[in-house]
Amino acid sequence: MDRDKRVYDDVFQLLPSVENPTPIVRLNKTLGVPGFDLYAKLEWMNPFGSVKDRAASFMIRDLEARGEIRKKADDAGGRAMVEPTSGNTGLSLAVMASAMGYGVRAVVPDKVPLSKKALLKMAGAELDVINDSLCPAPGLGEGSIGIAKSHAKAQRDKYVMPNQYENEQNVRAHMETTGPEIWKQTEGRITHFFASLGTAGTITGCGRYLKQQNPKIKVYVVVPNEGHDVPGLRTPSELATTNLFDRSVVDEIVEVDGELAFRTALELIRQEGLLAGPSSGLIHEGARRILQRDAASVQGGVGVSIFCDDAFKYVNSFLKHVPELAEGTEA
Amino acid sequence: MSEYANKDVLVTTDWVKERLSDPKVKLVEVDVDTKAYDAGHVPGAVGFNWETQLQDQVARDVISKAEFEKLAGEAGITRDDTVVLYGDNNNWFAAYAFWIFKLYGHQDVRLMNGGRNKWLNEDDKELTVEKTSIKPTTYKASDPDWSLRARVTDVLKIVEQKSANLVDVRSPDEFSGKVIAPPGMTETAQRGGHIPGAKSVPWATAVQQDGTFKSADELRKIYLEQQGVDPSKETVAYCRIGERSSHTWFVLKYLLGIEKVKNYDGSWTEYGSMVGVPIEK
Repeated sequence: MDRDKRVYDDVFQLLPSVENPTPIVRLNKTLGVPGFDLYAKLEWMNPFGSVKDRAASFMIRDLEARGEIRKKADDAGGRAMVEPTSGNTGLSLAVMASAMGYGVRAVVPDKVPLSKKALLKMAGAELDVINDSLCPAPGLGEGSIGIAKSHAKAQRDKYVMPNQYENEQNVRAHMETTGPEIWKQTEGRITHFFASLGTAGTITGCGRYLKQQNPKIKVYVVVPNEGHDVPGLRTPSELATTNLFDRSVVDEIVEVDGELAFRTALELIRQEGLLAGPSSGLIHEGARRILQRDAASVQGGVGVSIFCDDAFKYVNSFLKHVPELAEGTEA
Repeated sequence: MSEYANKDVLVTTDWVKERLSDPKVKLVEVDVDTKAYDAGHVPGAVGFNWETQLQDQVARDVISKAEFEKLAGEAGITRDDTVVLYGDNNNWFAAYAFWIFKLYGHQDVRLMNGGRNKWLNEDDKELTVEKTSIKPTTYKASDPDWSLRARVTDVLKIVEQKSANLVDVRSPDEFSGKVIAPPGMTETAQRGGHIPGAKSVPWATAVQQDGTFKSADELRKIYLEQQGVDPSKETVAYCRIGERSSHTWFVLKYLLGIEKVKNYDGSWTEYGSMVGVPIEK
């Protein structure tokens, strides 16, 4: 391996760390707060395409170290991972697991876009598509999590559930990689941190690490409104599904209309040249609102926003929420 | 603290665990997600599919008496068995099955409080994918007890005479007419809104975060004090297609002990599509 020349012995050496961080890029056109430097941390530069590579790699390594998973070729028969996922964690897990010889069964709600389901299959995952959205059942989200837990409980010999919603490795991944990377990349000058909420691993892990370095760093979590359609994100009322959210490291929860996730992502694509996905759009919208609101007091500050993944997987979502994108696409 | 009016209709997961080998206790899982049973069920439980086994496959109706007898018989249930129903999403469809069992006169039907999710999350409870071995029976059902069911003619009379409590258990947005059905639903109505005079109490109001029912005192406060359901009058619960409302029907009739409670299973998809009926928004 030679990082300077970017030559690696295998893809796992590309996983992020303080020595090999994902890049941060300053946003120069879409913030509108002179005197404040806001950086986007481009998590799509991870080897498997999203911020979820961090939690997934930590969870696999942990299961492996504890002897909880067995390779498909094992004499005792394989013991695969089963995980509820809206896409990115499953994809990271599936690619890594397949390359390492392990099996993955992904439990996916039916409403997840076809392209994400196909990606999981392309990566070698077995797919379990479930219909858990017949009518809204507030505060539960029991469907895919319940099914994955069921497989792990009813067939212990065949499956183990990493459970990104409860697995401390998810938080640890961010305390040991994302947080330290940001601290080093900003040379300890970071004053504001922005992230969204899925399993809460990013916000809790980075929040804890950054507050330990400097308790004055402000940590913001940007959430969509109830009934939103931003893939992978949760509203505060949907938080019951995760055990990892540590409210004590969050200074403020910022709610943004989910529709703006798509519009703001387009601004990032067209003005900053960043191929941002909808969750990045939502975070940026929240960050800029906070910074514009507090423009006078944030002077000289440095912010970092987590841009979870890029736009490629969400073309259909963009078409649905920004109808004019479809105009002129046919002869 | 007062108890539920009929405390025997609810059993705990521990109660079920202790009776897993009791031949007179029959467990039936009924889920919203019909794949859940196959992924793992309580040992000895049979699974009913609400889409194909609990409703008539041609007419819009509950299954007939003959179909219910076949279903119960093939599940190895006899008339004097204790049937314990459980399922996902706070026992939503388990409550619908409970309503069907009561329609056809089964005496001893109960719900496992907290449903499938509670069992799943307790470390001392086993889950299995093993096929349950069943000894089929010849089940004789009673004629349907239609006093448990409201028809649209009953509802129209109630609207006209303001003679009964109407409880709308759909989401606030469905109640206000902002949406006709939750996003992505195919069964819908021609109009949005609610039946005039109905009180809005979303069905999941009756349960706690862990899926178990709220205490009798809390339920009484919600339905009787805050929403003004008058227990001396007849009460009709409705939703969109009649399943969520069977959950509230269970709460009102069995946990609060209100004497005359009916489930209007035609619900909004029927009422909201009728010509010339009054609608409130």
